[in-house]
Amino acid sequence: MRRDLLTESERLAYVAGKLRRSFESWGYREIFLPCIEEYDGSLRRGTKFSYNNQFYLIKPDITSQIVFRMRRPRRMKVYYISEVLNGGIKGSWQAGAELIGGEPSDMYVEVIKVAVSCLIAVGVEDFYVDVGSLEVWRRATEDVKEFRERIFEALRRRNFQRIESLPIDQEKKRELWRLFNFRGRRSGFRLLDEIVERVEDERVFIDLGTMRPLPYYDNVVFDIYSPKLGYPIGGGGDYRARGLRAAGFALYLDRVLRLRSGEV
Amino acid sequence: MERLRFVLPKRRLLKDSLKILKRAGIELSIPKGRELITRRKKYELLLARAFDIPVYVEHGIDVGICGSDVFEERSCDVLVPLELPFGRCKLSVAMPRERAVGVEEMEGFKIATKYPNVTSKFFEERDIPVEVMKLHGSVELAPKVGIADAIVDIVETGRTLRVNDLVEVEKVMDVSVLLLVNRISQKTKFEVLNNLIASLRRVVDEWER
Repeated sequence: MRRDLLTESERLAYVAGKLRRSFESWGYREIFLPCIEEYDGSLRRGTKFSYNNQFYLIKPDITSQIVFRMRRPRRMKVYYISEVLNGGIKGSWQAGAELIGGEPSDMYVEVIKVAVSCLIAVGVEDFYVDVGSLEVWRRATEDVKEFRERIFEALRRRNFQRIESLPIDQEKKRELWRLFNFRGRRSGFRLLDEIVERVEDERVFIDLGTMRPLPYYDNVVFDIYSPKLGYPIGGGGDYRARGLRAAGFALYLDRVLRLRSGEV
Repeated sequence: MERLRFVLPKRRLLKDSLKILKRAGIELSIPKGRELITRRKKYELLLARAFDIPVYVEHGIDVGICGSDVFEERSCDVLVPLELPFGRCKLSVAMPRERAVGVEEMEGFKIATKYPNVTSKFFEERDIPVEVMKLHGSVELAPKVGIADAIVDIVETGRTLRVNDLVEVEKVMDVSVLLLVNRISQKTKFEVLNNLIASLRRVVDEWER
């Protein structure tokens, strides 16, 4: 059966309206970007095609596109509601915000607060935000640097067996196991504890096992999910934009719509 | 207590999967006749085609078991906390004995397989252009009747290859059996799943001793 795109569009427009008001109440301005970019290694995702012997990307990941389009360092608070592609022809809709330039811990707190208020604005209240830190893992693997990549890969798959099989001492393995399984509100890591304290929302936790699929994140990463749905409804983290510290997040609107319509 | 949902493959790996889960303290009842779902105490068991297991887990079933061949082919976003100690085999390129050549000489070949993604990736990495033909089963037939030059398929004992007069040309990957966990269940059922993984890890260690 063909999807009823027009009804879906009405629902999307309603949610987009709510999100726009929410983003703007936090001082974010909407950004409009071209749907096709000349191919560049710094652009993530998107669908590649060639035209006149040149490679192009259709609808790449917006965060990487914003950084790609910035000609010089510039402080910005922007949001977008856009379709994105990931190598195929079927796109998915995302809404997100990017805060570029500022004090890192203030930025983390602000973008998580914006994400929380956006979800509340569209009527989704049953969700969690799990915050993790890549820096915690970098520090923990400082003395076993040669295995860092394999430890990070194990973390992405949540496979401790892979860490067990590495020739590192038992005490280090026990330390990594503790980090691997930490989920709570006070971790002993100052930055993470401060974020959770300042966001002041009982749905926000520290989960040191949190990893994000895109490679540009610098330190703090977070996943947004609902116990009612089997996959994340959003996520974000911090990155560098032309030398400036930046933080942002994206919400996956098809999933948010499913939660709103009670399909799950 | 919240129900924990498992999805297991209908055929090859079912017996060992149930056995290892039982040893870890999880007794699932097997569906009878044409039933595909059963419930027992706080557990629910779904039986599905092996190739669909990662898809079910990605979309919300808590735990699944499947081969790393299927996992690589479907490339779903799921967690893989454990490798299980049974069902090891390999995925290989095979050809009719009388025409067998090395992989490097396969440019332009038609390759029949149930694993089009893994196969394409294997040949692309070697920079050997081939035509990949997706079949759903009895792949050995394809070179026999001349619709393909070679196959990429599972090799366990090598018996099926011998019976069909095929020879293994090169290994594509070692295959092991994986425990899959849904990304969100790992958070929302943190304790239960961590306990399950810890029990299974103990069973895996004993199994291998």
